[in-house]
Amino acid sequence: MTGFDQVVNGFAIALSWQGLLYCFIGCLWGTVVGVLPGLGPLAGMTLLLPLTFHQPPEIGIIMLTGIFYGAMYGGSTTSILVRIPGEAASRGGRAGPALMVAAVGSFVGGTVSIVGLMLITPPLAKVMIAIGPSVQVVLLLLALSVIAVVSAGSRLKTTIMMVLGLLLTAIGLDHLDGVPRLTFGNTTLAGGLSFTSLAIGLFGISEILINLEKTELIKAIQPKFRDLIPRMKDVRDAAPAIGRASVIGFIFGIIPGVSHVVSTFVSYAVEKRFSRHPEEFGHGAIAGVAGPETANNAVTGTAMIPLLALGIPSIPATALLLSALTIHGVQPGPLLLTDHPEVFWSLVASMYIGNVILLILNLPLVGIFVNLLRIPYSWLVPIILIVSVIGVYSVAFSAADIWLMVISGGAGYVLRKFGYEMAPLLLAFVLGDRLEENLRLALTMSGGSYATFADHASLIVLTSVLGLLLAVQALAWVFGYRKSVADEAEGA
Amino acid sequence: MSGDADNPAPAGGNAGQVWFRAIGVRHGEIWIAAVLAAAGLVFGWQALLLDFGTLALPGPGFIPLVLSLATIALGGIIGVREWLRADSGETVELGHRDVLIVFAAMLAVPLLFEPLGAYVTLGLFGAVLLVLVARSSLVIAVVSAVAAMAACWYFFQVALGLQLPVGDVLERIVR
Repeated sequence: MTGFDQVVNGFAIALSWQGLLYCFIGCLWGTVVGVLPGLGPLAGMTLLLPLTFHQPPEIGIIMLTGIFYGAMYGGSTTSILVRIPGEAASRGGRAGPALMVAAVGSFVGGTVSIVGLMLITPPLAKVMIAIGPSVQVVLLLLALSVIAVVSAGSRLKTTIMMVLGLLLTAIGLDHLDGVPRLTFGNTTLAGGLSFTSLAIGLFGISEILINLEKTELIKAIQPKFRDLIPRMKDVRDAAPAIGRASVIGFIFGIIPGVSHVVSTFVSYAVEKRFSRHPEEFGHGAIAGVAGPETANNAVTGTAMIPLLALGIPSIPATALLLSALTIHGVQPGPLLLTDHPEVFWSLVASMYIGNVILLILNLPLVGIFVNLLRIPYSWLVPIILIVSVIGVYSVAFSAADIWLMVISGGAGYVLRKFGYEMAPLLLAFVLGDRLEENLRLALTMSGGSYATFADHASLIVLTSVLGLLLAVQALAWVFGYRKSVADEAEGA
Repeated sequence: MSGDADNPAPAGGNAGQVWFRAIGVRHGEIWIAAVLAAAGLVFGWQALLLDFGTLALPGPGFIPLVLSLATIALGGIIGVREWLRADSGETVELGHRDVLIVFAAMLAVPLLFEPLGAYVTLGLFGAVLLVLVARSSLVIAVVSAVAAMAACWYFFQVALGLQLPVGDVLERIVR
């Protein structure tokens, strides 16, 4: 099958009734979990994970990815109608146009990032296909280092969370020797800890427990469709902001850990700097909404590049996609495009379709989604928890996974209260297996020489990726991103 | 024209705050660091039981031991740093009534899930939370829980084909 045939085949899958249906379900559910406080893409994806078990991998991944970017759209709706980080368009009486601008910006940003995903992933995968275990180790260590460096919270706490994640992934059978490790003689632990249970516990359950403490009433504006139409001045202000933010989101999407949060803050700072009326920022400036919301959605496609080309998830949501693909017997990474081109191309095609679906869903139907905010949170809690329990149990049909979810939820609640971030732990947990396997493999292949990690190919990869990341990080600092964004990074 | 959608929750209110316990940030940080270091110690002990291999050719115990030592060291650094830091008087509130109820109810779920069955356990769980956290009447809670379980059964068992445990007790009755 030629490259063109693969693209056509991908679009045919995405446009089949199954592809369209699951893309729609993903986008709809994503919007719902994005709108509802206390849920996010990760919890949303985990809850519907069992729905993919009886579907081909390409259909399952279309739905899960739909939830991922749908939640970004839904989050924009809530942030505009309830509150906006750093912005107050709703208070300025401009919630309707802000919503329209955010939806269009999200569409443009999302589309730009999909084009990037489509153009960058195949050649990158081709380069990566030739790399050996030593370069993989360098890349994985680099990804973990970047997470530690860009983390907004305490670096020491981030590092200990990562080390803990790596330690937890060592529980179970050793992949190379088949020896049970850190199991305390318990046969249930021999299979290792379930990623899904850990993810739902650390993110979903802890978030619910934290939200239960909040007693303030949530007030949301409910605009009518005609309120959404922006004025000519809004369009003039928003258009360049959307363009700039698409590029910012696209570039920052590659940073592991907190890409969407960094891109949002950088975009806001950039727009404020470019604005002729920076004093309006914080009082309903439309560019202050267009920029961050566009950037927030522009990272979605780029965040998929490390996952699909390298097999390295950069944020917890893509870590769940990796886990889901693995359950289906598909290994993301350089070989994905060779072994399962239909998964990649149908995903790309579905993202284009999903962006259109979301634009349609989020504008005329915004009133319906806002109504979700009327449901008392105390009624949502049992529903979310029941579905979480069933979702977690159904992965391996083991009550031990429910235990893990509950315990990690309690631990996550306490740790988050004291400023520990959960994303580094989870990403390290996902990457740990491969890191150890490749480290030991590389050392075995080189006869125990650590010089293998400093060979020509490793150094090229190390230098180029490090240079790129340093440049991106420097940009972020120049534009004033330095603020505790740990809480906002959670759940993404 | 814009209307307001008021969400009367998250639940809790003043009643929840009675159960709050303010923990000094410094004390809390020291305790967490100690627990993390202790976890490192326990994992380290388990790793010592495995073949370490050599530095050049690591065995299955190599990485776990290195990571355990790193956890102990980092936990120690955080703990000592907090110990030496002057107490700022900052506190973190733990122990909200609703949080405790939800967490206690969740601990019961894995205990009862297989013996009582998924639907009975989750139905009870839902009803308890509706009465104690959402503060609904018992009748509404029971009716809602039964309806929710019927919906779950249809969606997960019938539509998705997931075989959830029906429970030893129910199985014995059926037999």
